[in-house]
Amino acid sequence: MTNAIAGFRERFETRHERARALVQRGKKIVACFYGLAPKELVHAAGMVPVQLVEDRDSRYEAKSGLLPYMCGMSKNLAGQIASSVLDYVDGVMVSTVCDTNRHMLDIWVHQRAFPNHWLVRTPAKKDEGAIDYFTKELRRLAAELGRVSGQPVADDNLRESIALFNENRDLFRRFYETRPTAGISAEDAVYVFASALTTPVEEHNALLRQLLASLPPGEPKSPPKLMLSALNIPMSLDVIRMAEKYGATVVTDDFIRNARYGSADVPTDGDPFRALARGYLRTVPAPGMYPLEDRANGIRDAMSRAGAEGLIYLVQLYCDAYAFEYAVLKERFERWKLPHLKLEAEATPGSIEQLNVRVQSFIESLV
Amino acid sequence: MAELELKAIQRRVTAGANHRKLIAAAEAGQPVCVASAGIPNEVMHAMGVYAIYPESLAAISAGIGKAEAFFDEAKDRGLSSTICSYTRCGLGICWTSETAFGPIPRPTISITDVNMCSLHQTWWSYLEDHFTLPTFYMDMPSTDDPGAPEYIDYYESQIRQMVTFIERNTPCRFEQERLDESLRNSDRAGHHWKQLMELRRHRPSPISFRALAGQVLPLVTSLGEQDAADFYEALYERYVQDAKEGKTPARDGERYRLIWNGIPIWHHLQIIDYFEEKGANFVWEPYTSLNWGNKTSTGRLDLHRPFHTMAEKYTNVFTNKPIAKRFEYFDQAIRDYAVDGLVMFSNRSCRPMSLGQQELIELITARHDLPVLIFEGDQADPEGFSWADARMRIDGFIEILEGRKK
Repeated sequence: MTNAIAGFRERFETRHERARALVQRGKKIVACFYGLAPKELVHAAGMVPVQLVEDRDSRYEAKSGLLPYMCGMSKNLAGQIASSVLDYVDGVMVSTVCDTNRHMLDIWVHQRAFPNHWLVRTPAKKDEGAIDYFTKELRRLAAELGRVSGQPVADDNLRESIALFNENRDLFRRFYETRPTAGISAEDAVYVFASALTTPVEEHNALLRQLLASLPPGEPKSPPKLMLSALNIPMSLDVIRMAEKYGATVVTDDFIRNARYGSADVPTDGDPFRALARGYLRTVPAPGMYPLEDRANGIRDAMSRAGAEGLIYLVQLYCDAYAFEYAVLKERFERWKLPHLKLEAEATPGSIEQLNVRVQSFIESLV
Repeated sequence: MAELELKAIQRRVTAGANHRKLIAAAEAGQPVCVASAGIPNEVMHAMGVYAIYPESLAAISAGIGKAEAFFDEAKDRGLSSTICSYTRCGLGICWTSETAFGPIPRPTISITDVNMCSLHQTWWSYLEDHFTLPTFYMDMPSTDDPGAPEYIDYYESQIRQMVTFIERNTPCRFEQERLDESLRNSDRAGHHWKQLMELRRHRPSPISFRALAGQVLPLVTSLGEQDAADFYEALYERYVQDAKEGKTPARDGERYRLIWNGIPIWHHLQIIDYFEEKGANFVWEPYTSLNWGNKTSTGRLDLHRPFHTMAEKYTNVFTNKPIAKRFEYFDQAIRDYAVDGLVMFSNRSCRPMSLGQQELIELITARHDLPVLIFEGDQADPEGFSWADARMRIDGFIEILEGRKK
């Protein structure tokens, strides 16, 4: 089990080197900006989708050239690009979750930051008209991806890719069912999903199967048990460590990106492009892209399944999507008397450290 | 058109007049809609739906110094001050049911776009949820090619669905003749607005950006009404006369012709006055020239294809175009309007307008030898804004402009 866990962390931490090794073996890499880019399409075109994720390196913000009131995520990625960290990327695919991620694409196009740039023109609805529109859009993107990879996206290829990513989702659901009582630390659990963002899906599926087969039952978790809802991975790791320092255990987490894998499967019947359209429209619990009632219920149900007694909702400063979503969810949390703590900070260790007292007080209030 | 007549028309399209119409309509049992700016209000007007525009009310509240209570309300309810000030103020208005003009009636429905700004989707989802309002989302997928025919067609389908939504949720019924009339009025208003923008090429330009910041209101809230069309026609005639007489808002004559990029700083509109005191006049802004008016390829609405022409107009969103395309507009305006310098408002609240601005400046200054002044601040929330600092920076900028005249 230890080896399996180490494998997730190692893959995530060496993601850039691993991506470059894939390029050397003739693979092309498509960077996906946030979790709503249809990775199945990239995979079906014979390329490897990797999600853009933040690195903790203070030099990146200084190199970003972005305005001070932009979120740390966008600055961090801009800094990575300016530092040539992402030099292995053959194209970027942006799927809108907020105005910042949408308009970062404009800057990348202007800078010619990547050899190819695609904006996924995703409807906000899920009626038949929206599915028709998005099906055509996915075919347009598939044609462009096929042009870059040299492998046109055939229906059968897309079906196989959908099946592989559905398997990944299914394995994730099983992992999250097991996690609250399994012998795995909260920090290690973050790497299980984080590595999925940057590892070829076949490889990640194999790792997850190995993990699930070897995951032992853990010692009873020390109360109070918490759920963490967040976006930024390094910030989340800091908060997990802080919560554990004060005696709590984070027994489950809620990231847009693991929710992506754990949410409903993409349908497998009929036209695979249409199935993919149906699978992506308003099914991913991302702020603003999902019914609020379902989003709030989803958090409460996940806490209930994991036995979590409190929620930490971590917002990265200047992240409108999460900050606004919190204000909406807060009304329900208060109505339900669901103990929760909103933290808002910049993505730096110093900024997180300043939350110390609030985290400690929250945990003490639950004991 | 006599000045008195213009004033009489203007009184019928002010924010206060709109508020009185709204109250009267609600008392008469007419449906009231919470609407975002940038949806086809020609349809609402044609169907007898009266609208509350939270963004417009937020701008007005900030402009007259009455927004603070709404920001406080938003803060109390957990909204971070990093969230768009229109959103915070607009929600404050909805929560308190108050405006600068008095109470607002309980709305019946709500309608929003989802692409001009992605916060709209969460904002209106919240209204739908919190106030249990039937809500319609005018779907406009993210795009970098808003002129694509299939994109316009998809939005046309949304306008048709909007009609169905209104019919399902209110007693109002669609009549083609009323839409035709509404569009004729909208076309006339939008056409005269475009002509006003063209008139600013005149040296000196007779029009003040400060005045326009208020005069744009009927394009946001009253399109479709005959009063709005009459107002812009009269306003155009007035400014034509002013141009003939060589009038200009710049004190002691128009010495510098400038571009303003961004939403006006509503809480300190006196910034514009200060420029004018120094002999500088704003002659072009994307906010006025590209956001409002008839944004179709011909500059007119095609009255024979009412739904399609509205779709073409409302999908033409400046910030959804690539930076290279946005630059083309600036490049053309700098030539057409004989511009001496640019003021770029780096707006904390508006990511779509602020992201890419630096790249735009690089393109502009690479082609045109023009000075650029960058202001950072917020469109409606005055927190952190220093009027003294702003004046000092304007003084420095004017000195640069003056130095280049010598």
